[in-house]
Order: sequence, then structure tokens, then C-alpha cells
Amino acid sequence: MTRRIVLMLGALLLIAAGLGFYAWRLHKKVAAEEQRLTEQQQQVTAPANGPTANVTLYLASDETAALSRKSVSIPLPTERSEQARVVLRTLLGTYAQAGSRHPIGAGADVRDVYLLNDGSAVVDTNTAFADAHPSGVLAEELTITSIVATLNANDPKITRVKIIVNGAERDTLAGHADLRRFYFANSIGQLAKELQ
Amino acid sequence: MLRRRALVVIAFWGGVCFAIWVAHRPWIVHAQPNATGQIAVFSPQSTYSIPVQQVGSQSYVGLIDLLEPVGPVEANASGKKLKLRFNFAGNKPQEVEFQEGKDSAKLSSGKLKLAGNFVLQNGRGYVPLASVGDLLARLGIQPVEYHPASQRLLIGNVAARFTAELKRGNPSRLLLGFPAPVNPTIDTEPGKVRLTFKRDPVVGPAGAVKYDDPLITGSTFSERNGVTELEITGTAPLMANFADGGRTIILTAAPGPPPTQAVQQLPLNVPQPPTAALPPPVPQAPPRPRFLVLIDPAHGGTDIGAAITPQLPEKDVVLALARRLQHELQAKGIAVALLRTGDYSIGLDQRAISINAARPALYIALHAANTGKGVHVFTALLPQENTAPAGFLPWDTAQAAYADLSGTVAGSISAELENRKLPNTALPAPLRPVNNVAAPAVAVEIAPPGADVSEIAGVAYQTAVAQSIAAGVAAVRGKLPEVNP
Repeated sequence: MTRRIVLMLGALLLIAAGLGFYAWRLHKKVAAEEQRLTEQQQQVTAPANGPTANVTLYLASDETAALSRKSVSIPLPTERSEQARVVLRTLLGTYAQAGSRHPIGAGADVRDVYLLNDGSAVVDTNTAFADAHPSGVLAEELTITSIVATLNANDPKITRVKIIVNGAERDTLAGHADLRRFYFANSIGQLAKELQ
Repeated sequence: MLRRRALVVIAFWGGVCFAIWVAHRPWIVHAQPNATGQIAVFSPQSTYSIPVQQVGSQSYVGLIDLLEPVGPVEANASGKKLKLRFNFAGNKPQEVEFQEGKDSAKLSSGKLKLAGNFVLQNGRGYVPLASVGDLLARLGIQPVEYHPASQRLLIGNVAARFTAELKRGNPSRLLLGFPAPVNPTIDTEPGKVRLTFKRDPVVGPAGAVKYDDPLITGSTFSERNGVTELEITGTAPLMANFADGGRTIILTAAPGPPPTQAVQQLPLNVPQPPTAALPPPVPQAPPRPRFLVLIDPAHGGTDIGAAITPQLPEKDVVLALARRLQHELQAKGIAVALLRTGDYSIGLDQRAISINAARPALYIALHAANTGKGVHVFTALLPQENTAPAGFLPWDTAQAAYADLSGTVAGSISAELENRKLPNTALPAPLRPVNNVAAPAVAVEIAPPGADVSEIAGVAYQTAVAQSIAAGVAAVRGKLPEVNP
């Protein structure tokens, strides 16, 4: 083997090592950016405008398979559908906090709440709400129950609730709980009582 | 000089390619097993099918898919190694260690050479199909027969070897004898009867047999397209009858058509001979109601369900639990069918259609989750709408008529879980396809019993849950009506 070939192989090894180091750095950078975006998405809080009011949240616990009532004071807008949205964002924000007893997917949020004259509420959630939701019958049921019970507790005119994802119907929340149907406040209220 | 320069150029570009490969090594996607079909496995414990994966030019099968229905099995993947503990028919547990990329396995009795490298993918181990016989033999299961043409694997002494005896007479009869009742599909054409065995482990000498008989001239046994076939040829139309509880099939001449034309041609003024009285029609026995429990291991195929751990999908946990529950129920004398026996997708509507078509006395859906603790027993949380026209069973609330019986079963299962000190919760849940089931129906979701999530797949925990469910079902069996098939 000539000296020239040895030098060439050495150079190639250096290039290989350099490319490997570059790829490793790139991977770390992408991971850090993803982490930053996730943390940014997790900071779902209700907008601070409007007079402060007490609202009731039905908070779920995976460990005990139970719901508990909690009263919190938050700024509430005056319009009904905006109020419903803010209340639900507060609920999801509570679940997104560290140490939550019912963690849901990072970045879960409510895009809109549409209220109809027949007592129906259509809750339009973002994609992360469903895509990143923990999969399981009980976990998904607790989320739906807490949403319906919380909406009804703060606006008794809401008698049935349908959850859609990113403006479209979806079969299940995360593979289990049925999202094709309306959830009635009275039957969910009964279930919520059983879960308390 | 020119040759040397060419070598340098080749070495340079080869090196660049190598460097790029090294740089992207962590992101290179390994060759994955691709599903190419299924093989039917017949064992003394159960009959099931497992997917066959193609790795390179070789066919592979999943170790858990293969062993779980035969006996308790535990697999622990760590790095490139997979340790397997298997217990067959109460024998001493056998331990095997596999390593990804190696073509041998370590057993207490020594090394086992595999026909190809062991593949570890997402915590699941795959072995070459060609090595299954050797592996099972070393695990204490013998004999093992693989029939590639019919894609059937026969484990243990399950092969049903048939005998054929020609009884000459007028007409002649061909008697086919089987060691156990068989249930082939029968097709007839002029001068030919074809028996197709899809669910029976029928084995016979391949090829044609000729008979020196004026009616039955020969038979041909063949294995192809996942089934075995026995074709009997004759000089006149043949028919097949079952006898001896399905252990014997008798082939003989089919009765000819009634001579209606001849009767019409008789002159009207000729006195007709008295016709023999026709035998009264034989009343067909009404179908007997039976008590069938249909177990539905949820998800499957591309729908993995919850990721219990990155290597342990819900679909695998519930399939293992379903097989344990099947054993426990059968041990109590209860007939059981599994809606899913392998790793394939079934949509929710298709599930509901299959369940209702099976007409079970009880439907049990099995789920698993890594959230919560213990066992959750669910009945249907039904929608309040009922938009079906009168006379129709509404699809979304088909379960409504059975809600009370479903609640009785759920309560009984909860009580048995309580007796075994397993933490449990009983609730209604908005879960499909339970709402669409026109039979008593419950869903059972298992969560880890404690802090260690992987315990959910442990033999002891799953057996305790399966025993509780089976005992709960057995306790209320008398309250659940049997159903006509």
C-alpha cells in the first residue's frame, strides 16, 4: 500500500468522523427544538380578560378512577361559547400541569365551542388533544366525562356535548371512547356521581 | 499510472459512501419483517393461525404468536437479547436465550442451530419457520410436522390420518375413516366429489389411488392453498354421507332423478299400477341452543391500541389474556371462540357484524392500558337516541335490550376479582363495539397491578385475571340464555 493511499484512507476516516459528529449535533438540535415546542404547547392557560368568576371543574384521577369537583376563580369573557371555551381550556391546562393525576397529551387545546339552540355544544379540539391522548378505555372515558360534566356544571343550558377534532368527526378519542355520538349531560352526570 | 489513479478514485468515493453510512447509522431503518401470509397451527390445546413474516428470502414466525396458545410463555427483551421461559404441559420450564443477528439459541441442553439469524423487532422475537420443528422439539413438544403446501403446522399428536376402504357391491361404497370427527366442505360435480378440509388436521399420502370398480374409480389427496383436499372420482354421480359422529364419510352413488317423464307418457286409459307409498319426510332436528362465549382481543394489526411500553403493544397483551381466558373457560366446560386469533386488523363495524353473526350467549371484549391500576370492568354506556324504525334493532343501541344481563355478568366478574384481592372498578363506558352487540356484553380492561407496568403481561397476573373472569361467567351461566346458532 503506497503512502498516498494511506493518507487518502486517513482523510476518509476523518471525514467519516466529522460527518458522524455533525449528524449527532443535528440530532441533538432537533430533539431540543421538539422539546421546546412541546413545552410551549403545554402552556395552555385561559386568556386573562373579563371579570373574574368562580367556575367548577370536574377533575379526573387515573389512579382512583374517580372525578372530584374543584372550584377555581378565573377571568371569564361575557359571551357563552367563549366562556365554555375558557372553562375547558382551564380544565385541560390543569391536566397539562406537572404531577397531574390525569395527564393528557402535550399541547391539547380547545379550538372552539359551538353552542346550538337545542342545548347542544360541539367542542372542537385540536389534533394534539386526540393524537397525544393516553390510550385506554378508562383514561379516555374520564376525559370525556370531565369535559361534559364541567360544561354542564358551568352552563346548565348545555344538555348534550359532541367532541370533534380539528373541525372533523373522529371515531374514537384514542382508540377506545366513542366520539361519533353526543354525550348527554344527565347520563354523564349520573356517571360523574358514580365516579365521585 | 492510470490504473493506480482509478483505484484511488474508487477508494475515495467508496470512502465517501462509507462516511455517509457511518454518519447516518442511527437513522438507518433496519430491514423489517414483512407479513406475507398465515399458517394454521393445530395443537392439542387449540387451533390458531399465526402470521408469517418474510425476512430476506426466509419465512419467519413470531415466538410469542407460536408458543402462547400452547403453554405459558414469558419473554424479556434486553438490548439485542431475548430470554424466553416456556412451560409446556406442566413439564419443567425451559429457558432459551436468543440474540439478534445470531443463528443459534442457547438452551440448558445446549445450543440450537437456527436456519437463519434470529430477528428482534420492537421487543418481539422471530425465528425461521424452518427451525420451528427443532425448537419445539427442544422445548419438549413432539412430534412437529410442517406442511408447506397447505401452510399447516401440526404440533403434538394431532394429525388425523385417514383410511380408505372400498366395499364392493351394488352400489359400491368408499369408507373414509378418521381418528376424530371431521367437518369438510363438500363440492359435487358429475362423477366427482371433493372434500376440502380447512379446520381439520387431516393428513394422508399425497397422490392418486385407482380402484378397480365399476362405480368408484379413484381418489386423489392433495395439499394446496392452505387446505387439504380429497377428490373422489366415479362413473356416475356420487354423494357423501357422514356416520359415526363425523368419524366416517361414506361415498356412494347418488340417487337418480324421479321418473316423472315416464309417468306423463302413460296413455290416459291404461290403468296405473298402485304407487308405493312415499316414506314420510324425515323431520330435521332443530338447531340446539348452545352457550358460546365470544372473546374479542381488541385492536390488532396496524391498530396496536395503547403502547403499554415501547415494546409492548396492547394488541399483544390482550391476545395473550384472551388465550388464557379461553383455557380457563374451557376448563369449566364452557364453549369459547376467539374473534381474533392472530395479529390482524378488524374494524369496529366489522367486529360488531362478526359478533352478532356468531350469536354468542356472552361477548367479552379485552383491553389493556398503562394508566390506572388493576382491572376495569365495563358495560355499555348507551346513547339516548333511538332513531331506528319500528321493527329494527337500532345499530348504536343494540345492547340496550341486554343491559341488565350485561350488568349481572359485570357484577359477578367484579365479585370474583374482589375475592382474589385484585383491585377493580365496574363502570359503564362509551366503548364500541359493545353498544352494537345484540347479546350480553362486557369489556374488561387490565391495567398494571402495581408500579411496574411490565407486570401487565406477567403470567401470574394474567392468569389471576383470567380465572376471575371465568369464575364470574361460570357463576352466572344459569342466568344467561343459551342461543340457537
